[in-house]
Amino acid sequence: MNWSATIRTVLLCSVLVFLHYTLRPLLAWRAAPDFLIIALLLAAVRVRPGVAAMIGFLIGLASDSLALGTFGAGALAMTLIGFSWSKLKAVFFADHVLLNGFFLFLGKWAYEIVMNVAERRMQGAELLMQILVWSSLSAFVTAVAGVLALMALRPVLETRAA
Amino acid sequence: MARAARFTNRFDAVLFGGCILLSLVSMVLPPNLREPVAGSLRRSLVAPLVRLQQGAERWRGAYLSAQREELRRDTLALAAARVPTLEAENERLRQMLGLGSKLQWGFIPAQALQGRGRVEDFTITLSAGSNAGIRERSLVVAPEGVVGMVQTVDPTLSLAILFAHPDFRVSAMSADGSAFGIVQPHIPGSGTGTTPESSHLQSERWLLELRGVPFRSTLKPGAVVYSSGLGGIYPRGIPVGVVLGEIKTTEAWARTYLLRPSVNPAEISSVMVLTPQRATSGLTNVWANIGSVDSAARGVVAAGDSLARQAAAAEAAARRAAIDSAVRDFRDSAGRDTARVADSIAQFVPGARAIPRATPAPAPPAARPADSTARVRRDTAARRARADSTRRDTTTGARP
Repeated sequence: MNWSATIRTVLLCSVLVFLHYTLRPLLAWRAAPDFLIIALLLAAVRVRPGVAAMIGFLIGLASDSLALGTFGAGALAMTLIGFSWSKLKAVFFADHVLLNGFFLFLGKWAYEIVMNVAERRMQGAELLMQILVWSSLSAFVTAVAGVLALMALRPVLETRAA
Repeated sequence: MARAARFTNRFDAVLFGGCILLSLVSMVLPPNLREPVAGSLRRSLVAPLVRLQQGAERWRGAYLSAQREELRRDTLALAAARVPTLEAENERLRQMLGLGSKLQWGFIPAQALQGRGRVEDFTITLSAGSNAGIRERSLVVAPEGVVGMVQTVDPTLSLAILFAHPDFRVSAMSADGSAFGIVQPHIPGSGTGTTPESSHLQSERWLLELRGVPFRSTLKPGAVVYSSGLGGIYPRGIPVGVVLGEIKTTEAWARTYLLRPSVNPAEISSVMVLTPQRATSGLTNVWANIGSVDSAARGVVAAGDSLARQAAAAEAAARRAAIDSAVRDFRDSAGRDTARVADSIAQFVPGARAIPRATPAPAPPAARPADSTARVRRDTAARRARADSTRRDTTTGARP
Protein backbone atom coordinates (compact mmCIF):
# COMPACT_ATOMS: atom_id res chain seq x y z
CA MET A 1 0.00 0.00 0.00
CA ASN A 2 1.55 3.26 -1.05
CA TRP A 3 1.52 6.46 0.95
CA SER A 4 -1.43 7.92 -0.87
CA ALA A 5 -3.56 4.89 -0.19
CA THR A 6 -2.34 4.85 3.40
CA ILE A 7 -3.30 8.47 3.91
CA ARG A 8 -6.70 7.91 2.33
CA THR A 9 -7.30 4.90 4.52
CA VAL A 10 -6.26 6.80 7.65
CA LEU A 11 -8.54 9.70 6.74
CA LEU A 12 -11.51 7.46 6.08
CA CYS A 13 -10.92 5.54 9.27
CA SER A 14 -10.77 8.86 11.13
CA VAL A 15 -14.06 9.87 9.61
CA LEU A 16 -15.61 6.59 10.69
CA VAL A 17 -14.22 6.97 14.21
CA PHE A 18 -15.63 10.50 14.23
CA LEU A 19 -19.01 9.17 13.19
CA HIS A 20 -18.80 6.52 15.90
CA TYR A 21 -18.50 9.17 18.59
CA THR A 22 -20.94 11.66 17.10
CA LEU A 23 -23.60 9.99 14.99
CA ARG A 24 -24.01 6.97 17.23
CA PRO A 25 -24.87 8.99 20.36
CA LEU A 26 -27.22 11.09 18.30
CA LEU A 27 -29.07 8.05 17.03
CA ALA A 28 -29.10 6.37 20.43
CA TRP A 29 -30.51 3.18 18.98
CA ARG A 30 -30.41 0.03 21.02
CA ALA A 31 -28.96 -1.72 17.99
CA ALA A 32 -26.75 1.02 16.62
CA PRO A 33 -24.14 0.67 13.87
CA ASP A 34 -20.58 0.20 15.07
CA PHE A 35 -18.38 2.47 12.96
CA LEU A 36 -15.22 1.30 14.75
CA ILE A 37 -15.75 -2.17 13.35
CA ILE A 38 -16.23 -0.73 9.86
CA ALA A 39 -13.07 1.33 10.26
CA LEU A 40 -11.21 -1.76 11.40
CA LEU A 41 -12.42 -3.68 8.34
CA LEU A 42 -11.30 -0.89 6.03
CA ALA A 43 -7.87 -0.87 7.62
CA ALA A 44 -7.49 -4.64 8.06
CA VAL A 45 -7.93 -5.50 4.41
CA ARG A 46 -5.15 -3.09 3.51
CA VAL A 47 -2.45 -4.08 5.98
CA ARG A 48 -0.70 -7.20 7.11
CA PRO A 49 -2.40 -9.47 9.63
CA GLY A 50 -0.03 -8.56 12.42
CA VAL A 51 -0.56 -4.86 11.86
CA ALA A 52 -4.30 -5.41 11.61
CA ALA A 53 -4.22 -7.25 14.93
CA MET A 54 -2.34 -4.36 16.48
CA ILE A 55 -4.78 -1.79 15.09
CA GLY A 56 -7.63 -3.87 16.45
CA PHE A 57 -5.94 -4.11 19.80
CA LEU A 58 -5.45 -0.33 20.03
CA ILE A 59 -8.99 0.48 18.94
CA GLY A 60 -10.38 -2.10 21.36
CA LEU A 61 -8.24 -0.89 24.23
CA ALA A 62 -9.26 2.70 23.59
CA SER A 63 -12.90 1.82 23.66
CA ASP A 64 -12.32 -0.34 26.72
CA SER A 65 -10.92 2.60 28.58
CA LEU A 66 -14.40 4.00 28.85
CA ALA A 67 -15.80 0.75 30.23
CA LEU A 68 -13.70 -0.43 33.14
CA GLY A 69 -15.75 -3.55 33.77
CA THR A 70 -14.68 -5.10 30.51
CA PHE A 71 -11.24 -3.63 30.18
CA GLY A 72 -9.28 -5.80 27.74
CA ALA A 73 -12.26 -7.72 26.38
CA GLY A 74 -12.82 -5.29 23.53
CA ALA A 75 -9.12 -5.33 22.74
CA LEU A 76 -9.15 -9.11 22.59
CA ALA A 77 -12.18 -9.18 20.33
CA MET A 78 -10.88 -6.46 18.02
CA THR A 79 -7.50 -8.18 17.79
CA LEU A 80 -9.13 -11.42 16.75
CA ILE A 81 -11.36 -9.71 14.23
CA GLY A 82 -8.63 -7.60 12.70
CA PHE A 83 -6.25 -10.50 12.36
CA SER A 84 -8.94 -12.75 10.91
CA TRP A 85 -10.11 -10.20 8.39
CA SER A 86 -6.61 -9.49 7.27
CA LYS A 87 -5.89 -13.20 6.92
CA LEU A 88 -9.11 -13.93 5.07
CA LYS A 89 -9.01 -10.99 2.72
CA ALA A 90 -7.14 -12.91 0.01
CA VAL A 91 -9.49 -15.86 0.25
CA PHE A 92 -12.90 -14.35 0.56
CA PHE A 93 -12.74 -10.60 0.21
CA ALA A 94 -12.77 -9.57 -3.34
CA ASP A 95 -14.38 -6.42 -4.38
CA HIS A 96 -17.81 -7.75 -3.60
CA VAL A 97 -19.75 -5.37 -1.45
CA LEU A 98 -22.24 -7.90 -0.13
CA LEU A 99 -19.41 -10.21 0.88
CA ASN A 100 -17.90 -7.34 2.79
CA GLY A 101 -21.25 -6.81 4.43
CA PHE A 102 -21.46 -10.47 5.39
CA PHE A 103 -18.04 -10.37 7.00
CA LEU A 104 -18.95 -7.17 8.75
CA PHE A 105 -21.95 -8.98 10.16
CA LEU A 106 -19.85 -11.89 11.34
CA GLY A 107 -17.18 -9.62 12.79
CA LYS A 108 -19.60 -7.44 14.71
CA TRP A 109 -21.52 -10.45 15.97
CA ALA A 110 -18.31 -12.09 17.18
CA TYR A 111 -17.34 -8.86 18.88
CA GLU A 112 -20.71 -8.68 20.63
CA ILE A 113 -20.49 -12.31 21.74
CA VAL A 114 -17.03 -11.80 23.20
CA MET A 115 -18.10 -8.60 24.95
CA ASN A 116 -21.27 -10.12 26.37
CA VAL A 117 -19.47 -13.18 27.64
CA ALA A 118 -16.66 -11.10 29.10
CA GLU A 119 -19.01 -8.67 30.82
CA ARG A 120 -20.71 -11.51 32.74
CA ARG A 121 -23.70 -9.27 33.31
CA MET A 122 -26.15 -11.68 31.70
CA GLN A 123 -26.60 -15.40 32.02
CA GLY A 124 -28.70 -18.17 30.62
CA ALA A 125 -31.74 -17.23 28.56
CA GLU A 126 -31.07 -13.53 28.90
CA LEU A 127 -27.59 -13.93 27.49
CA LEU A 128 -28.93 -16.14 24.73
CA MET A 129 -31.62 -13.59 23.90
CA GLN A 130 -29.05 -10.81 23.87
CA ILE A 131 -26.72 -12.72 21.58
CA LEU A 132 -29.37 -14.05 19.23
CA VAL A 133 -31.57 -11.02 19.02
CA TRP A 134 -29.94 -7.77 19.94
CA SER A 135 -26.37 -8.64 19.04
CA SER A 136 -27.39 -10.07 15.70
CA LEU A 137 -29.58 -7.06 15.07
CA SER A 138 -26.74 -4.72 15.92
CA ALA A 139 -24.48 -6.75 13.62
CA PHE A 140 -27.01 -6.47 10.86
CA VAL A 141 -27.31 -2.71 11.26
CA THR A 142 -23.54 -2.42 11.26
CA ALA A 143 -23.34 -4.52 8.12
CA VAL A 144 -25.89 -2.35 6.39
CA ALA A 145 -24.08 0.82 7.45
CA GLY A 146 -20.77 -0.68 6.33
CA VAL A 147 -22.13 -1.66 2.94
CA LEU A 148 -23.50 1.84 2.45
CA ALA A 149 -20.18 3.35 3.52
CA LEU A 150 -18.22 1.10 1.17
CA MET A 151 -20.51 1.93 -1.73
CA ALA A 152 -20.19 5.62 -1.01
CA LEU A 153 -16.41 5.45 -0.59
CA ARG A 154 -15.74 3.11 -3.52
CA PRO A 155 -14.27 5.86 -5.72
CA VAL A 156 -11.85 6.78 -2.97
CA LEU A 157 -10.84 3.33 -1.88
CA GLU A 158 -8.80 0.89 -3.83
CA THR A 159 -8.71 -2.60 -2.43
CA ARG A 160 -5.40 -4.27 -2.95
CA ALA A 161 -5.12 -7.99 -2.94
CA ALA A 162 -2.46 -9.41 -0.67
CA MET B 1 11.84 -14.89 -0.89
CA ALA B 2 10.42 -17.81 1.03
CA ARG B 3 12.53 -16.82 3.98
CA ALA B 4 11.11 -13.29 3.85
CA ALA B 5 7.60 -14.67 3.69
CA ARG B 6 8.26 -16.90 6.64
CA PHE B 7 9.68 -13.91 8.49
CA THR B 8 6.64 -11.76 7.85
CA ASN B 9 4.36 -14.59 8.84
CA ARG B 10 6.31 -15.02 12.00
CA PHE B 11 6.22 -11.29 12.56
CA ASP B 12 2.46 -11.25 12.13
CA ALA B 13 2.10 -14.20 14.46
CA VAL B 14 4.26 -12.52 17.07
CA LEU B 15 2.27 -9.31 16.82
CA PHE B 16 -1.01 -11.19 16.99
CA GLY B 17 0.15 -13.26 19.92
CA GLY B 18 1.46 -10.19 21.71
CA CYS B 19 -1.83 -8.37 21.25
CA ILE B 20 -3.79 -11.39 22.46
CA LEU B 21 -1.50 -11.70 25.45
CA LEU B 22 -1.79 -8.03 26.29
CA SER B 23 -5.54 -8.23 25.96
CA LEU B 24 -5.73 -11.17 28.32
CA VAL B 25 -3.41 -9.44 30.75
CA SER B 26 -5.57 -6.33 30.58
CA MET B 27 -8.57 -8.41 31.42
CA VAL B 28 -7.03 -9.93 34.50
CA LEU B 29 -5.27 -6.84 35.76
CA PRO B 30 -6.22 -5.83 39.28
CA PRO B 31 -8.12 -2.55 39.48
CA ASN B 32 -5.25 -0.60 40.99
CA LEU B 33 -3.07 -1.45 37.97
CA ARG B 34 -5.87 -1.29 35.39
CA GLU B 35 -7.03 2.18 36.31
CA PRO B 36 -3.74 4.04 35.56
CA VAL B 37 -3.61 2.46 32.12
CA ALA B 38 -7.24 3.23 31.35
CA GLY B 39 -6.92 6.72 32.82
CA SER B 40 -3.91 7.55 30.69
CA LEU B 41 -5.78 6.38 27.61
CA ARG B 42 -8.84 8.47 28.52
CA ARG B 43 -6.73 11.55 29.09
CA SER B 44 -4.74 11.22 25.88
CA LEU B 45 -6.05 9.18 23.00
CA VAL B 46 -9.69 8.95 23.96
CA ALA B 47 -10.11 12.48 25.35
CA PRO B 48 -10.95 14.20 22.04
CA LEU B 49 -13.29 11.36 21.18
CA VAL B 50 -15.04 11.70 24.51
CA ARG B 51 -15.43 15.41 23.91
CA LEU B 52 -16.96 14.63 20.54
CA GLN B 53 -19.34 12.22 22.23
CA GLN B 54 -20.21 14.81 24.86
CA GLY B 55 -21.00 17.33 22.14
CA ALA B 56 -23.20 14.81 20.36
CA GLU B 57 -24.93 13.98 23.62
CA ARG B 58 -25.59 17.69 24.21
CA TRP B 59 -27.04 17.99 20.73
CA ARG B 60 -29.22 15.04 21.39
CA GLY B 61 -30.25 16.39 24.75
CA ALA B 62 -31.13 19.74 23.19
CA TYR B 63 -33.08 18.01 20.47
CA LEU B 64 -34.98 15.88 22.95
CA SER B 65 -35.59 18.90 25.17
CA ALA B 66 -36.98 20.86 22.23
CA GLN B 67 -39.11 17.90 21.31
CA ARG B 68 -40.39 17.61 24.87
CA GLU B 69 -41.08 21.34 24.89
CA GLU B 70 -42.96 21.04 21.64
CA LEU B 71 -44.93 18.12 23.00
CA ARG B 72 -45.70 20.10 26.14
CA ARG B 73 -46.88 23.03 24.02
CA ASP B 74 -49.02 20.71 21.94
CA THR B 75 -50.44 19.17 25.08
CA LEU B 76 -51.24 22.60 26.47
CA ALA B 77 -52.77 23.67 23.18
CA LEU B 78 -54.82 20.51 23.08
CA ALA B 79 -55.93 21.04 26.65
CA ALA B 80 -56.78 24.67 25.88
CA ALA B 81 -58.75 23.57 22.84
CA ARG B 82 -60.71 21.14 24.97
CA VAL B 83 -61.58 23.73 27.59
CA PRO B 84 -64.59 25.24 25.73
CA THR B 85 -65.94 21.77 25.05
CA LEU B 86 -65.56 20.81 28.68
CA GLU B 87 -67.12 24.07 29.78
CA ALA B 88 -70.07 23.53 27.46
CA GLU B 89 -70.49 19.98 28.70
CA ASN B 90 -70.22 21.19 32.27
CA GLU B 91 -72.84 23.84 31.66
CA ARG B 92 -75.14 21.33 30.04
CA LEU B 93 -74.78 18.88 32.90
CA ARG B 94 -75.50 21.72 35.32
CA GLN B 95 -78.64 22.52 33.38
CA MET B 96 -79.63 18.87 33.49
CA LEU B 97 -79.09 18.87 37.25
CA GLY B 98 -81.21 21.98 37.53
CA LEU B 99 -83.98 20.42 35.47
CA GLY B 100 -83.79 17.28 37.57
CA SER B 101 -84.11 19.24 40.80
CA LYS B 102 -87.15 21.05 39.39
CA LEU B 103 -88.81 17.90 38.13
CA GLN B 104 -88.07 16.26 41.50
CA TRP B 105 -89.50 12.90 40.47
CA GLY B 106 -90.71 10.88 37.53
CA PHE B 107 -87.81 11.35 35.15
CA ILE B 108 -85.14 9.06 33.76
CA PRO B 109 -81.84 10.57 32.67
CA ALA B 110 -80.43 9.10 29.48
CA GLN B 111 -77.64 9.65 27.05
CA ALA B 112 -78.77 10.49 23.53
CA LEU B 113 -76.85 8.74 20.78
CA GLN B 114 -77.40 10.23 17.36
CA GLY B 115 -79.23 7.68 15.18
CA ARG B 116 -77.31 6.03 12.38
CA GLY B 117 -75.44 9.17 11.51
CA ARG B 118 -77.75 10.07 8.67
CA VAL B 119 -79.18 13.55 8.74
CA GLU B 120 -82.57 12.37 7.54
CA ASP B 121 -83.08 10.01 10.44
CA PHE B 122 -84.41 12.51 12.96
CA THR B 123 -84.22 9.81 15.58
CA ILE B 124 -82.02 9.32 18.57
CA THR B 125 -81.08 6.26 20.51
CA LEU B 126 -81.45 6.60 24.25
CA SER B 127 -79.18 4.71 26.60
CA ALA B 128 -82.08 3.69 28.85
CA GLY B 129 -84.93 1.32 28.19
CA SER B 130 -87.84 -0.40 29.80
CA ASN B 131 -85.65 -1.66 32.62
CA ALA B 132 -85.20 1.93 33.66
CA GLY B 133 -88.91 2.67 33.43
CA ILE B 134 -89.19 4.15 29.95
CA ARG B 135 -92.43 3.39 28.13
CA GLU B 136 -93.63 4.06 24.62
CA ARG B 137 -94.78 7.61 24.00
CA SER B 138 -92.75 8.83 26.94
CA LEU B 139 -91.67 12.43 26.55
CA VAL B 140 -88.07 13.33 25.95
CA VAL B 141 -87.12 16.76 27.20
CA ALA B 142 -83.98 18.78 27.70
CA PRO B 143 -83.36 21.80 29.90
CA GLU B 144 -84.23 23.97 26.91
CA GLY B 145 -87.52 22.27 26.08
CA VAL B 146 -89.09 19.59 23.92
CA VAL B 147 -86.77 17.06 22.32
CA GLY B 148 -89.11 14.36 21.09
CA MET B 149 -91.05 11.27 22.01
CA VAL B 150 -90.08 7.66 22.63
CA GLN B 151 -91.33 5.34 19.94
CA THR B 152 -89.64 2.00 20.52
CA VAL B 153 -88.50 0.62 23.84
CA ASP B 154 -86.06 -2.21 24.42
CA PRO B 155 -84.97 -3.42 27.84
CA THR B 156 -81.78 -1.43 27.77
CA LEU B 157 -82.25 0.97 24.87
CA SER B 158 -85.02 3.01 23.38
CA LEU B 159 -85.53 4.93 20.18
CA ALA B 160 -87.12 8.35 20.11
CA ILE B 161 -88.20 10.62 17.31
CA LEU B 162 -86.92 14.17 17.35
CA PHE B 163 -89.05 17.25 16.89
CA ALA B 164 -87.94 17.37 13.28
CA HIS B 165 -89.33 13.93 12.54
CA PRO B 166 -92.24 14.08 10.06
CA ASP B 167 -94.50 12.29 12.55
CA PHE B 168 -93.91 14.81 15.31
CA ARG B 169 -96.88 16.95 16.40
CA VAL B 170 -97.52 18.93 19.54
CA SER B 171 -100.35 21.24 20.46
CA ALA B 172 -98.87 24.60 21.33
CA MET B 173 -99.73 28.08 22.44
CA SER B 174 -98.14 31.43 22.83
CA ALA B 175 -96.83 32.54 26.19
CA ASP B 176 -99.84 34.77 26.87
CA GLY B 177 -102.29 32.13 25.72
CA SER B 178 -103.64 34.33 22.95
CA ALA B 179 -102.71 32.03 20.08
CA PHE B 180 -103.05 28.28 19.82
CA GLY B 181 -101.95 25.96 17.07
CA ILE B 182 -100.24 22.74 16.16
CA VAL B 183 -96.46 22.59 15.96
CA GLN B 184 -95.07 20.28 13.33
CA PRO B 185 -91.77 19.99 11.48
CA HIS B 186 -91.05 22.53 8.81
CA ILE B 187 -90.64 20.62 5.58
CA PRO B 188 -89.33 23.04 2.95
CA GLY B 189 -91.08 22.85 -0.35
CA SER B 190 -94.14 21.13 1.05
CA GLY B 191 -96.38 24.13 1.02
CA THR B 192 -94.38 26.95 -0.41
CA GLY B 193 -93.87 25.57 -3.88
CA THR B 194 -90.11 25.40 -3.59
CA THR B 195 -87.98 22.36 -4.09
CA PRO B 196 -86.28 20.71 -1.12
CA GLU B 197 -83.02 20.05 -2.93
CA SER B 198 -81.58 23.39 -2.03
CA SER B 199 -79.05 23.26 0.79
CA HIS B 200 -80.60 26.40 2.18
CA LEU B 201 -83.90 24.65 2.43
CA GLN B 202 -82.22 21.54 3.81
CA SER B 203 -80.79 23.62 6.62
CA GLU B 204 -84.31 24.84 7.34
CA ARG B 205 -85.38 21.25 7.79
CA TRP B 206 -84.68 21.48 11.51
CA LEU B 207 -87.13 24.35 11.95
CA LEU B 208 -90.71 23.97 13.11
CA GLU B 209 -94.06 25.38 12.04
CA LEU B 210 -96.89 26.59 14.22
CA ARG B 211 -99.93 25.93 12.07
CA GLY B 212 -103.59 26.66 12.49
CA VAL B 213 -103.22 29.87 14.45
CA PRO B 214 -106.47 31.89 14.20
CA PHE B 215 -106.16 34.76 11.79
CA ARG B 216 -106.93 37.32 14.47
CA SER B 217 -103.95 36.14 16.56
CA THR B 218 -100.60 37.56 15.64
CA LEU B 219 -97.25 36.58 17.09
CA LYS B 220 -94.18 38.75 16.99
CA PRO B 221 -90.75 37.36 16.17
CA GLY B 222 -89.04 36.23 19.33
CA ALA B 223 -92.22 35.10 21.04
CA VAL B 224 -91.80 31.80 22.85
CA VAL B 225 -94.22 29.02 22.06
CA TYR B 226 -95.07 26.42 24.71
CA SER B 227 -96.88 23.13 24.65
CA SER B 228 -100.51 23.79 25.51
CA GLY B 229 -101.36 20.43 27.01
CA LEU B 230 -104.39 20.11 24.75
CA GLY B 231 -102.96 17.26 22.72
CA GLY B 232 -103.03 14.85 25.62
CA ILE B 233 -99.42 13.74 25.32
CA TYR B 234 -97.32 16.76 26.08
CA PRO B 235 -98.26 18.53 29.29
CA ARG B 236 -98.72 22.25 29.32
CA GLY B 237 -95.77 24.57 29.58
CA ILE B 238 -92.80 22.93 27.89
CA PRO B 239 -90.93 25.34 25.60
CA VAL B 240 -91.21 24.23 22.00
CA GLY B 241 -89.68 27.03 20.00
CA VAL B 242 -89.29 30.71 19.29
CA VAL B 243 -91.19 32.52 16.56
CA LEU B 244 -89.00 33.54 13.65
CA GLY B 245 -91.75 35.01 11.50
CA GLU B 246 -94.92 34.30 9.62
CA ILE B 247 -94.81 32.24 6.47
CA LYS B 248 -97.36 32.29 3.70
CA THR B 249 -99.26 29.11 3.05
CA THR B 250 -102.31 28.10 1.11
CA GLU B 251 -104.39 28.16 4.27
CA ALA B 252 -106.05 31.51 4.03
CA TRP B 253 -108.14 31.14 7.18
CA ALA B 254 -105.23 30.61 9.57
CA ARG B 255 -101.72 31.86 10.13
CA THR B 256 -98.60 29.74 10.05
CA TYR B 257 -95.48 30.76 11.89
CA LEU B 258 -91.93 29.52 11.46
CA LEU B 259 -90.30 28.50 14.74
CA ARG B 260 -86.74 27.99 15.79
CA PRO B 261 -86.70 24.94 18.08
CA SER B 262 -85.88 25.60 21.69
CA VAL B 263 -83.42 22.71 21.65
CA ASN B 264 -80.43 22.86 19.38
CA PRO B 265 -80.29 19.42 17.73
CA ALA B 266 -76.50 19.51 17.71
CA GLU B 267 -76.45 19.81 21.49
CA ILE B 268 -78.72 16.90 22.25
CA SER B 269 -76.46 14.72 24.35
CA SER B 270 -78.06 14.27 27.75
CA VAL B 271 -81.83 14.22 28.02
CA MET B 272 -84.56 13.46 30.51
CA VAL B 273 -87.36 11.02 29.76
CA LEU B 274 -90.54 11.82 31.64
CA THR B 275 -92.57 8.94 32.95
CA PRO B 276 -96.28 8.96 32.01
CA GLN B 277 -97.24 9.64 35.64
CA ARG B 278 -94.98 12.67 35.76
CA ALA B 279 -96.35 13.98 32.49
CA THR B 280 -99.94 13.70 33.62
CA SER B 281 -99.24 15.35 36.95
CA GLY B 282 -98.25 18.58 35.21
CA LEU B 283 -95.04 20.50 34.92
CA THR B 284 -95.99 23.75 36.58
CA ASN B 285 -92.98 25.88 37.48
CA VAL B 286 -90.51 23.40 36.02
CA TRP B 287 -89.48 25.74 33.26
CA ALA B 288 -88.92 29.29 34.47
CA ASN B 289 -91.31 30.87 32.01
CA ILE B 290 -94.33 28.88 33.08
CA GLY B 291 -94.97 31.13 36.07
CA SER B 292 -94.84 34.16 33.87
CA VAL B 293 -97.18 32.46 31.39
CA ASP B 294 -99.78 31.92 34.05
CA SER B 295 -99.31 35.35 35.56
CA ALA B 296 -99.52 36.91 32.13
CA ALA B 297 -102.71 35.02 31.43
CA ARG B 298 -104.13 36.06 34.78
CA GLY B 299 -103.08 39.65 34.09
CA VAL B 300 -104.84 39.62 30.74
CA VAL B 301 -108.00 38.21 32.29
CA ALA B 302 -107.91 40.71 35.16
CA ALA B 303 -107.35 43.59 32.78
CA GLY B 304 -110.29 42.45 30.68
CA ASP B 305 -112.49 42.15 33.75
CA SER B 306 -111.62 45.63 35.00
CA LEU B 307 -112.30 47.15 31.60
CA ALA B 308 -115.67 45.41 31.48
CA ARG B 309 -116.49 46.61 34.96
CA GLN B 310 -115.47 50.17 34.09
CA ALA B 311 -117.56 50.16 30.92
CA ALA B 312 -120.59 48.83 32.81
CA ALA B 313 -120.22 51.47 35.50
CA ALA B 314 -119.87 54.20 32.91
CA GLU B 315 -122.99 53.00 31.11
CA ALA B 316 -124.98 52.90 34.30
CA ALA B 317 -123.82 56.40 35.22
CA ALA B 318 -124.80 57.68 31.82
CA ARG B 319 -128.23 56.15 32.19
CA ARG B 320 -128.62 57.73 35.58
CA ALA B 321 -127.56 61.10 34.24
CA ALA B 322 -130.03 60.82 31.39
CA ILE B 323 -132.85 59.96 33.77
CA ASP B 324 -131.91 62.79 36.12
CA SER B 325 -131.88 65.36 33.37
CA ALA B 326 -135.20 64.03 32.07
CA VAL B 327 -136.65 64.30 35.53
CA ARG B 328 -135.42 67.86 35.88
CA ASP B 329 -136.86 68.84 32.51
CA PHE B 330 -140.21 67.30 33.23
CA ARG B 331 -140.29 68.92 36.66
CA ASP B 332 -139.45 72.32 35.23
CA SER B 333 -141.97 72.08 32.44
CA ALA B 334 -144.79 70.17 34.01
CA GLY B 335 -144.39 70.96 37.64
CA ARG B 336 -145.01 68.32 40.23
CA ASP B 337 -146.53 65.89 37.77
CA THR B 338 -143.09 65.38 36.38
CA ALA B 339 -141.97 63.58 39.49
CA ARG B 340 -144.66 61.03 39.00
CA VAL B 341 -143.56 60.56 35.39
CA ALA B 342 -139.97 60.19 36.50
CA ASP B 343 -140.93 57.50 38.92
CA SER B 344 -142.67 55.66 36.18
CA ILE B 345 -139.54 55.94 34.00
CA ALA B 346 -137.39 54.74 36.85
CA GLN B 347 -139.45 51.61 37.05
CA PHE B 348 -138.53 50.70 33.50
CA VAL B 349 -134.83 51.65 33.58
CA PRO B 350 -132.71 49.15 35.51
CA GLY B 351 -130.18 50.73 37.78
CA ALA B 352 -131.98 54.02 37.99
CA ARG B 353 -132.56 55.05 41.55
CA ALA B 354 -135.64 56.71 42.87
CA ILE B 355 -135.61 60.40 42.25
CA PRO B 356 -136.16 62.58 45.26
CA ARG B 357 -139.11 64.82 45.07
CA ALA B 358 -137.24 67.92 46.06
CA THR B 359 -134.00 69.00 44.42
CA PRO B 360 -132.39 65.97 42.80
CA ALA B 361 -128.60 65.55 43.09
CA PRO B 362 -126.78 65.90 39.77
CA ALA B 363 -125.00 62.86 38.37
CA PRO B 364 -121.20 62.76 38.78
CA PRO B 365 -119.81 64.17 35.57
CA ALA B 366 -116.52 62.36 35.88
CA ALA B 367 -118.15 58.97 35.49
CA ARG B 368 -119.85 59.83 32.25
CA PRO B 369 -118.34 58.67 29.03
CA ALA B 370 -117.90 61.45 26.54
CA ASP B 371 -120.25 60.13 23.86
CA SER B 372 -123.01 59.19 26.29
CA THR B 373 -122.66 62.54 28.01
CA ALA B 374 -122.93 64.34 24.71
CA ARG B 375 -125.91 62.22 23.75
CA VAL B 376 -127.56 62.95 27.07
CA ARG B 377 -126.84 66.64 26.71
CA ARG B 378 -128.29 66.66 23.23
CA ASP B 379 -131.45 64.97 24.49
CA THR B 380 -131.65 67.34 27.38
CA ALA B 381 -131.18 70.36 25.16
CA ALA B 382 -133.94 69.15 22.85
CA ARG B 383 -136.28 68.63 25.75
CA ARG B 384 -135.34 72.02 27.09
CA ALA B 385 -136.13 73.50 23.73
CA ARG B 386 -139.51 71.84 23.84
CA ALA B 387 -140.02 73.00 27.40
CA ASP B 388 -138.93 76.53 26.47
CA SER B 389 -141.43 76.57 23.67
CA THR B 390 -144.09 75.44 26.06
CA ARG B 391 -143.03 78.04 28.53
CA ARG B 392 -142.79 80.57 25.79
CA ASP B 393 -146.15 79.64 24.76
CA THR B 394 -147.28 79.77 28.33
CA THR B 395 -145.56 83.04 29.17
CA THR B 396 -146.68 84.63 26.00
CA GLY B 397 -150.26 84.02 27.00
CA ALA B 398 -149.61 85.18 30.51
CA ARG B 399 -147.92 88.41 29.58
CA PRO B 400 -149.87 91.40 29.16
